[in-house]
Amino acid sequence: MVHALSEIHRVLMPDGVLIDMRPLANHWPVEVISGHGFEETGRADDLPDQLNADTSSNEAMREAESRNWFKHEQDGFFPFFYVWDTPSEMEEFISEEWTDFAQLSEEAKRATRSAWALGDADSRVRVRMKVLLSRWKKI
Amino acid sequence: MTLQKDPERNEIRHLRKVVDLADKRVLEIGCGEGRLTWQYAKWTASIVAMDLDHDSLRVAKVDRPYDLERIVHLACADSHDLPFSKEKFDIAILAWSL
Repeated sequence: MVHALSEIHRVLMPDGVLIDMRPLANHWPVEVISGHGFEETGRADDLPDQLNADTSSNEAMREAESRNWFKHEQDGFFPFFYVWDTPSEMEEFISEEWTDFAQLSEEAKRATRSAWALGDADSRVRVRMKVLLSRWKKI
Repeated sequence: MTLQKDPERNEIRHLRKVVDLADKRVLEIGCGEGRLTWQYAKWTASIVAMDLDHDSLRVAKVDRPYDLERIVHLACADSHDLPFSKEKFDIAILAWSL
């Protein structure tokens, strides 16, 4: 990672800007949504690969800063939603695609299925991912 | 499976709040299938959108809007060995790839 940052430093113009955007482990909320709003039905469990990725990325940026490649300018966070029509589609996706990053407990699955089944006809399900957006200036 | 990613377009909205993309030369690392790339390309001077995943790049090439063909250049490249000369870009975006 640090070597990639040195490469980015090399190809950026003086005063160039680096944007680091990535999801962070945060026990992402699971929600049932409809035209009337949303209801949180549980939280995803963070898995070691996601936690380790966060730690490694943060350390790499600190290293780049300590080597005077980049100056930190600002941090922000925003929600990034993954939305499915049904709880079963969500469960299938998470178990297949997020194997090493997040998982749903049986309790969260049950609560989500129940809230979705009892909800409005337009009910859907979503995961609210927390995404970091930080801005760095080339030194 | 019906899956929508970021239907409220929070990603591009927040990106535009922190960086002025107008007429800039952008390097996007981790473009995947171009989900984010297509959303901001029209404001930039040019983009090199790169990824290591051949399958994702194949999808991006097919999906690339015709009017962006001269702006967005797709590349299979490794961020540890960027195939560009120095000081070539105004902005680098690590798109979920650090």
